Amino acid sequence: MNIIEINNLSHRFSNGFPGLDGINLSVKKGEFIVIAGRNGSGKTTLLRHLNALLLPTSGTVRIDGVSVQDDPVRARRIVGMVFQDSDSQIVCETVREDVAFGPENLCLERDEIEKRVSEALTVTGLSGLADAGPHILSGGEKRRLAIAGVLAMMPEVLVFDEPFSNLDYPGTRDVLMQITGLHRAGRTIFVTTHDLEKIIAHAGRLLIMEKGKIARDGIPEKVISGVETFGVKEPYFPRMGFERVSWLS
Amino acid sequence: MAELTAFSYRAGFSIVHSIDARFKLLLLVIIGVSGLKASPAGLLFLFIFVLSGLIHAGIRLRDLFEELRLFLCFLLFIFVIRAFSADGTGLIKIYSISLFTGGLKEGLLICLKLLVMALLGLLFVTTTRMLEIKAAIEWILKPFPFAAGNRISTMTGLMMRFIPVILEKAKETSDAQKARCIENRKNPLYRMVKFAIPLLGRTFNNAGRIAVAMEARCYSDTRTGYKLSSKKNDWIMLFAVILICMATIVYL
Repeated sequence: MNIIEINNLSHRFSNGFPGLDGINLSVKKGEFIVIAGRNGSGKTTLLRHLNALLLPTSGTVRIDGVSVQDDPVRARRIVGMVFQDSDSQIVCETVREDVAFGPENLCLERDEIEKRVSEALTVTGLSGLADAGPHILSGGEKRRLAIAGVLAMMPEVLVFDEPFSNLDYPGTRDVLMQITGLHRAGRTIFVTTHDLEKIIAHAGRLLIMEKGKIARDGIPEKVISGVETFGVKEPYFPRMGFERVSWLS
Repeated sequence: MAELTAFSYRAGFSIVHSIDARFKLLLLVIIGVSGLKASPAGLLFLFIFVLSGLIHAGIRLRDLFEELRLFLCFLLFIFVIRAFSADGTGLIKIYSISLFTGGLKEGLLICLKLLVMALLGLLFVTTTRMLEIKAAIEWILKPFPFAAGNRISTMTGLMMRFIPVILEKAKETSDAQKARCIENRKNPLYRMVKFAIPLLGRTFNNAGRIAVAMEARCYSDTRTGYKLSSKKNDWIMLFAVILICMATIVYL
């Protein structure tokens, strides 16, 4: 069964600008999907429909068989979203409290919250910074904290909006390691990016978006050629005839 | 990176750290009111008492001075104004302005009262996690049906969390304007407007993004709160402080 089923999804913003236009997409459990496209192509708008932060103007989005419009809270529990700007996602005064924010919103018992917080901090390597204030963290650590905050809600699908923006090389590798680890653990992963080079080695499927539509969809080797016409820089490997190489290797 | 240490919690294992946040708030009120009623000797005793609490909580005197530098300048200003304006026996006369003994005493007393209050606040903030403060606010507001305790506590928490972020954005805006020679414009109103508009714009945009991020993590008014629990030590501390404050007022 598909965990995500999108049928004829269109979204028009309040100013009349068309954000998405007739999107059809089916995603199986455990897939690793990279979405690329120029600014304003509809990548973030599409992701925000997966957890009902935006609702369709027409069409349907079903998460694990249930429409997001019928049960938005369920959709948010299943689809965890890591935003581009970590500073806006971190809402508490210490690392531990911020990770607990999501489970507290789910009204879980205190013991269960503590257990989840501890696990999420261990997975993201932030246990040593549990009592630190978020403002003293580096960019990579903030991104990992944002991931920990989402992980504590135990979502099946993880959506990363431009996860490598403003990160240096070690920070990028840290976050990449987290994403690939979560995929290995069985999570379904969505990543939007302008820079395919960093992530493409791990993707099983590449979507190219253009003017609110899916322009290309398939395995990276088949889709990647000529992506520069869609405002995305073509990675090094296909031009040189090399195999895909991970930034982690 | 912006850091506002005066308003930040410092982890520790002191007695002050271990007291329940509701008791700490009550102690804050009791010591504060005693400070208003105390004689100069009593006030000096309370000052030493609170200062000892800060040192016991692991705050270094040097850090304390750094944190309160601006506040101490403000106290000095108040002291000078009082010293030259109140009645009493004239000590020194500089041109037509006289320095009075009554003014000196009154100035010292006011400054000491304000200093005790500031140190109390600092002791509370540096030894209490925001989580506990929020829970205490919720607990205090529980009997008032018109006050949404959980919302107020979340707002308080968000405010504390985003003060450093706003300060960082203010510094970025200021630096960006300096890089474009804003200092050559002598009109302070022009400079203030050019500083405030982008800063407010960025702050409001940020607030919008925070709201969306909170929604994505299922934020609602119904959520698991922090459980406060009073212990024997909290009650012992409460009675000890009440006795000390009463003795300060009566005997000193």
